[in-house]
Amino acid sequence: MTPARLCSLFLVVLGVACVWALATIMPGGLAMLAAPGDSLTGILLRYNWLPRLVASLLGGAGLALAGVLMQQTLRNPLAAPTTLGVVSGVHLALLLATLFAPWLLLHVRGVVGFIGGAAAMGLVFALAWRRALAPTVVVLAGLVVNLYLGALVVVLLLFNQEALRGMMIWGAGSLAQNNWDGVFYLLPRLAIGALAATALSRALALLDLDDVNAKNLGVSLQYLRAGALGVAVFVASVVVVELGVIGFVGLAAPSIVRLAGARTLKARLVWAPVLGALLLAVTDQVLQLTTHDSAALIPTGATTAALGAPLLLWLIPRLNMRRPVPQTMAEAPTVRLRAPSRLLMTLVVAAAAMVVIALLVGRGADGWTWPLQLPWAETGAWRLPRVLAAGAAGLMLSLAGTIIQRVSGNPMASPEVLGISAGTAMGVLAVILLWPAAGTSVMLGAGIFGAFATLALLVVLNARSDFEPERVLLTGISVLFLFDAISKIVLAGSDPRTQQLLAWMSGTTYYVDMPLALTVTALAAVLLLATRPLAAWLDLLPLGVPTARALGVNVTFSRLLLLAVVAVLTAGATLVVGPLSFVGLLAPHMARLLGLTRAREQMAGAVVIGALLMILADWAGRVVLFPSEIPAGLVATLIGGSYFMWRLRRM
Amino acid sequence: MTRAVRARRFAGARRSCLVGWLVGLALFVSGGLCVANAQPTPRVAAIDWGQAQTLIAIGAPPVAMAQIASYGDWVGGPAVPDSVRELGLRVQPNMELLSQLDLDAITITPMYANSRTRLAQVASVESIDVYYHEGSAWDNTVESTRKLARLVHREAAAEQLIETTRADIEASARRLPADAEPLLVIQFIDARHVRVFGDNSLIGNVMTRMGVANAWQEQTNFWGFALVPIERLAAIENARMAVLDPMPVGVAEEIVSSVLWQSLPAVRDRPILDLPAVWSFGGLPSATRFARGLAAAYDGRETAGETETPESTP
Repeated sequence: MTPARLCSLFLVVLGVACVWALATIMPGGLAMLAAPGDSLTGILLRYNWLPRLVASLLGGAGLALAGVLMQQTLRNPLAAPTTLGVVSGVHLALLLATLFAPWLLLHVRGVVGFIGGAAAMGLVFALAWRRALAPTVVVLAGLVVNLYLGALVVVLLLFNQEALRGMMIWGAGSLAQNNWDGVFYLLPRLAIGALAATALSRALALLDLDDVNAKNLGVSLQYLRAGALGVAVFVASVVVVELGVIGFVGLAAPSIVRLAGARTLKARLVWAPVLGALLLAVTDQVLQLTTHDSAALIPTGATTAALGAPLLLWLIPRLNMRRPVPQTMAEAPTVRLRAPSRLLMTLVVAAAAMVVIALLVGRGADGWTWPLQLPWAETGAWRLPRVLAAGAAGLMLSLAGTIIQRVSGNPMASPEVLGISAGTAMGVLAVILLWPAAGTSVMLGAGIFGAFATLALLVVLNARSDFEPERVLLTGISVLFLFDAISKIVLAGSDPRTQQLLAWMSGTTYYVDMPLALTVTALAAVLLLATRPLAAWLDLLPLGVPTARALGVNVTFSRLLLLAVVAVLTAGATLVVGPLSFVGLLAPHMARLLGLTRAREQMAGAVVIGALLMILADWAGRVVLFPSEIPAGLVATLIGGSYFMWRLRRM
Repeated sequence: MTRAVRARRFAGARRSCLVGWLVGLALFVSGGLCVANAQPTPRVAAIDWGQAQTLIAIGAPPVAMAQIASYGDWVGGPAVPDSVRELGLRVQPNMELLSQLDLDAITITPMYANSRTRLAQVASVESIDVYYHEGSAWDNTVESTRKLARLVHREAAAEQLIETTRADIEASARRLPADAEPLLVIQFIDARHVRVFGDNSLIGNVMTRMGVANAWQEQTNFWGFALVPIERLAAIENARMAVLDPMPVGVAEEIVSSVLWQSLPAVRDRPILDLPAVWSFGGLPSATRFARGLAAAYDGRETAGETETPESTP
């Protein structure tokens, strides 16, 4: 299938949907098209339906354009406006303005949003500038900035749920329009973005070569990347400010047209925006048709992502991944430590000290309390299961993260990206929504079921490719998108139970009781011992398939076994601290940045760092805003993210 | 606790009107504090705002409740006495603090059912429901008021609250014009989306008691409201629009320039009523707030210093 044929297909679907929508939703039907007049139907048509259709086309095109630019610049099929911190930056800026300077939103809402997006991207650039904006570093920095800002967003949402309800609808991307203002805002800005992208396209095409060859042709990589990403940020933030968060299109439209045969950058720059526009518009029209009398709001942005995920899953086995991926550097270079055992001992001592502090120091009804000042039943009895669970979850996620990053050779890989935690979370989400009175054991069961269903999906879709890491990650990302989309729809839906969902999703140990804490601690200990013999694979697999085979590794079997281990580790941790604690991403990198480069050392370092980080985060989250609590997952992201950015800057 | 004077303009393409009014809240004097009661008042913590509100209204404020500051913004009244302790988020009341407060009981709604076993380790848990079982929101709210009162030994005060609420609603109903159009009660979520309250919300129930027809007869959710984009209101003719506070920032300005909003029959044809913040999942005091706010809005008069809830001294 060629891109043109694919787009024509979507165009036909859009046409049918439009005619159908006009005939059913509008009281006057198709006749109104001819003479809109001054009637209410005419006004609905001209000030609601038409601007919405145009806005959806423009928004989809803009996001796809931003996606093409980002993927080309960073040479990573996972790069998109939502993965590089831009969307989170816009989101955070708008939330802060809503809460603290609402007058700003009256006239300069767009400027506020753009400043947020640009500041986020600026931070990413600042972190990666010294490394000449090398793609891996930019992607890594973008991911961390994204998580960091995303964590701040969730904290604000959690504590101001009523005041920020409108922002939740925005966050799920409802495309409802009530005049042409949105279209007039988007049109000139997107035109500028498109022109800039055209101007850059020749130089950008050279990025299909590797760095050395591109440099030899006289391209200043640093400024080219900065320019292209700047255009992408501008376009993405314009769309997001006006229409809300719309996931998936920016990631998927470029990938799909590439699959459909748009091999050159030029072809992708033309066809991806066309497809993106059609994807979003079709989804929006179909949604308007199906929900025109429902009591709940089903926002288009999130729904596009939810519908797009299965599409991406269907495409993955058909994806020809053997296209040459020009490599830059696989990993940031680090100096291997000469005496890792001393560092490890220091980390273990620090973790032990943190456990004592977390158990004994806290705040009570009358301020700070000394150790053992209050009865154990009123302090430690509540703290112990949380400390255990936080430590065990941190350990398991870090272990899973180390394994998945080593197996895939992708620094963006983490248990979250593999989709297992999203699968676990969807199981738990279903229980919260469909069976509100269910106990912990039902949730546990549903979560484990979700984790293994996701694992089964990963296995089925990737068995034929010998679990090629990039393909596995794409599968995982699709599942993650699905969960992200579903949770956004639920959050936007105004259901009073959403606060509970938000609290659990942000990674709190609040809901852990002693039996659960002991179970996960035991699970963590067993799995930690069980993975020790696998360390040899983790040193060999990153050397590449041929080398690993030559050294006697059964690549398919080892990948499958390691994936299963990661699934169990992730499911266990997710049940305790929710799907969003990014310890699994951060801890392995922190261990490596400290100089623990060999697999066994990195695993050991990462698990201690992960446990320490989570226990610290849990304790800090409990005492900082007492009696309110900040979820451990969020605090861990903030602490770990700060450290991570500091190290990345000095690298 | 007085609210600032607010005036807001809905300037229509066809007509413009100025609906400005003043909502004042006199200090609510909680009668129960000075009552000599035979039994000591049990120490109760309330997680749900509606239940905390009811407990305050019957003169037995909880020892601790959740998110007191937000309660002020969204529930409005009666005011929380200074003695009440903050527990943190409603979905995550602080367990260490709860266990240090020497409580007799904790009240929750089924929405917090998954906290139940945890809370039960601190004190006996009373789950009192309004929306999760059969019956109208009004009947269930009255019933839940009685259950709460039994818990804190304030049965007489509860009966009085129920009676004064009924009387207040009737008195407010008498202030409405005889030929009042069906009412469309909405709350803005952002400039393009609103909550509309249907028959089975507490607000819808109060409207029924006041003899006002509800213009929203389409689907609603479990709690009796629907979240819809504003074009869904276009089909509703011959209705009076009433907008509940608080209005999200920027919305008042944005709808002025919205052709669609200005063309809605309910906006175009007659002035909009401006209502105070009413917690739509609240208890009887919220019902009174709505009824009085509606009557005051119809009167169109500036009502400063109006007593929020009658003193309920048993």
